[in-house]
Amino acid sequence: MSIMSHNGGSVIAMVGKDCVAIASDLRLGNEAMGISSNFQRIFPVSDRIYLGLPGLATDVATLREKFRFRVNMYTIKEEREIKPETFAHLVSSTLYEHRFGPYFIEPVMAGISKTPTGGVKPFIAATDLIGCLNFAKDFVVAGTASDKLYGVAEGLWEPDLEPEDLFETISQTLLNAVDRDAFSGWGALVHVITKDKVITRTLKGRMD
Amino acid sequence: MENSFALVGKGYLIVAADTTAARSIVKMKSDQDKIKALSPHLLMTYSGEPGDTLQFAEFVERNIRLYQIRNLYPLRPSAAASWIRRSLAESLRSRHPYSVNLLLGGYDIASDDPHLYWIDYLGTLSEVPFAAHGYGAYFALSLLDRYHDPNATLEEGLATLKRCIDEVSKRLVVSPDKYKVKVVDKDGIRDVEL
Amino acid sequence: MNTFVDLYSTTSATAQLRRAQKITEEENEEFSDGSWGSQAGFGTIVKGGPSFMVPNVPDPTSFLRLHTDDHADPSCRIKIQHGTTTLAFRFQGGVIVAVDSRATAGSYIASGTVKKVIEINPYLLGTMAGGAADCQYWETYLGMHCRLHELRNRERISVSAASKYLSNLVYSYKGMGLSMGTMICGWDKTGPAVFYVDSDGTRMKGDLFSVGSGSTFAYGVLDQGYRWDLTDEEAQELGRRSIYAAGHRDAFSGNTCNLYHVKENGWQFVGNYDIAKMHYEGNGTGAGPYGYEPRITGEN
Repeated sequence: MSIMSHNGGSVIAMVGKDCVAIASDLRLGNEAMGISSNFQRIFPVSDRIYLGLPGLATDVATLREKFRFRVNMYTIKEEREIKPETFAHLVSSTLYEHRFGPYFIEPVMAGISKTPTGGVKPFIAATDLIGCLNFAKDFVVAGTASDKLYGVAEGLWEPDLEPEDLFETISQTLLNAVDRDAFSGWGALVHVITKDKVITRTLKGRMD
Repeated sequence: MENSFALVGKGYLIVAADTTAARSIVKMKSDQDKIKALSPHLLMTYSGEPGDTLQFAEFVERNIRLYQIRNLYPLRPSAAASWIRRSLAESLRSRHPYSVNLLLGGYDIASDDPHLYWIDYLGTLSEVPFAAHGYGAYFALSLLDRYHDPNATLEEGLATLKRCIDEVSKRLVVSPDKYKVKVVDKDGIRDVEL
Repeated sequence: MNTFVDLYSTTSATAQLRRAQKITEEENEEFSDGSWGSQAGFGTIVKGGPSFMVPNVPDPTSFLRLHTDDHADPSCRIKIQHGTTTLAFRFQGGVIVAVDSRATAGSYIASGTVKKVIEINPYLLGTMAGGAADCQYWETYLGMHCRLHELRNRERISVSAASKYLSNLVYSYKGMGLSMGTMICGWDKTGPAVFYVDSDGTRMKGDLFSVGSGSTFAYGVLDQGYRWDLTDEEAQELGRRSIYAAGHRDAFSGNTCNLYHVKENGWQFVGNYDIAKMHYEGNGTGAGPYGYEPRITGEN
């Protein structure tokens, strides 16, 4: 049994037109046994950045605390909100600090950044467990259902989706992928980040 | 094998743990209390590696007490859970990690409701309406899915707990015979005989 | 006394039998079993047991284990399907057989529509846990022998005899990697009967069994609701709920529940129930959802 699939769980993020979406399942397991169907693994970093932490549940909590601390320190020192690109590098270097005894987490982040012209630019990224950054233009996935998520997302995603369509796409992708994974599922949570608001919805999923 | 159960009811929390202390194939003791009262409204069951269990439980107990002495009020259950989780998570990546599984439950006198937390030796924390550790969990969780009612009276809650204990005694090959049961509510902690 | 006569006569009954035998043997040399189908095919039943190809290595047993045992080596090439929940119990109104329908290969849910109840004949059911192919093959094979028993003895085989037959069969392959945990259920002269048979060679008569990775979760609900004098409806509901409980908590069980009821005049298929639907809506009779959270939130 791999340590990465000890607790189960998966996260996916997708780019839309001037918006991004990030979604995860809600299962916390102890190998094959389900423990909780209300385990949050996506956390807000700022108003426009969300961070998903699939992997070992103890490290989900530890890293969440660590990132909250580091982002707060950054905000105080710099006297401004952290940009998604900067945050991605903060995630990467934090993970690489533990190169020889890593946190068993593969973070996925989604956010939107402001451009100098006043527009917005969607941003998604993911890293492996020691911080290798992967900036994608379409979608990123991680967790026990990652291979299934790749398959479904490859089939459903298309460029320039409006927030409501992006919500539908990411929800269907997640629900259908976790239905083929034994260690993910037990409900799901979706955030769609647009330039003036974040839409958060819990999804009814198969509970088996 | 060690087993512990806990469940939340209307205004109360029931916690139960078996009372056997085993070393190898020998029962060293059959009336060991494996539930610690951490503060007037906070209970914790502990199980796992012998030695680690008691050492860690006492470490937690003293630190929670220290907090209360320093601040004149005790930690709320959620805060205590976070602190204990962090202690275990830090211990996990140390040279000698504690191997202890916990059920932490308490009555929050500030918000007037009971809370229960499932914590394992890795430092995994989850708030749940009912929980179990040990092989007994494999029988008790499905049973509690079926029979647990968060609005039940204390008597009904104890009856549900008894169902779990009976089921585990019936099906588990190496099942403990005696359990210690404690209840915490707005009036504090007390022992209960099943 | 007539041994010599028999041996050398060309017209006696034994001689004719001998001649017939010789002809069939010659035919079989010309056309091997393989040319009529597979070597393990059921066409071979008249000659005794089927035969199997064995890996051409000094120790076939350990060779097979090396490549199929995903407990010892999760990256092994051949993954035998494992997780399951199956249950069967005897009560006043017959036997209830309930199973889930999920097949997993590692963490991948390979199928959610597996038939884990094998209909051996109109009076016998077998459940499937462990190697899917092993269960399917040997229980079908058992069905053929049950039919032969009927033809030979002009009466139906007892559940006890059928399960003993299966038990002896799989025991003869012990140590060669067969993997099955099954319940043979039926109704015979003695009434309703359930036998547990597994590939270790264990065979037990009993009132209530559950087998598979989710069996502990099923037992938790089953034991608490079980009584001998359950009505038919109560018993079917208990079977469904127990499979639901296991499907919910166990990662390797789920998708749907197949429910069978064995009565005096043979088994009948009661229905196929979606576990997700049972979680949110229950069994459709308005008795409320099975799931903990829907049940609780509905109450408040």
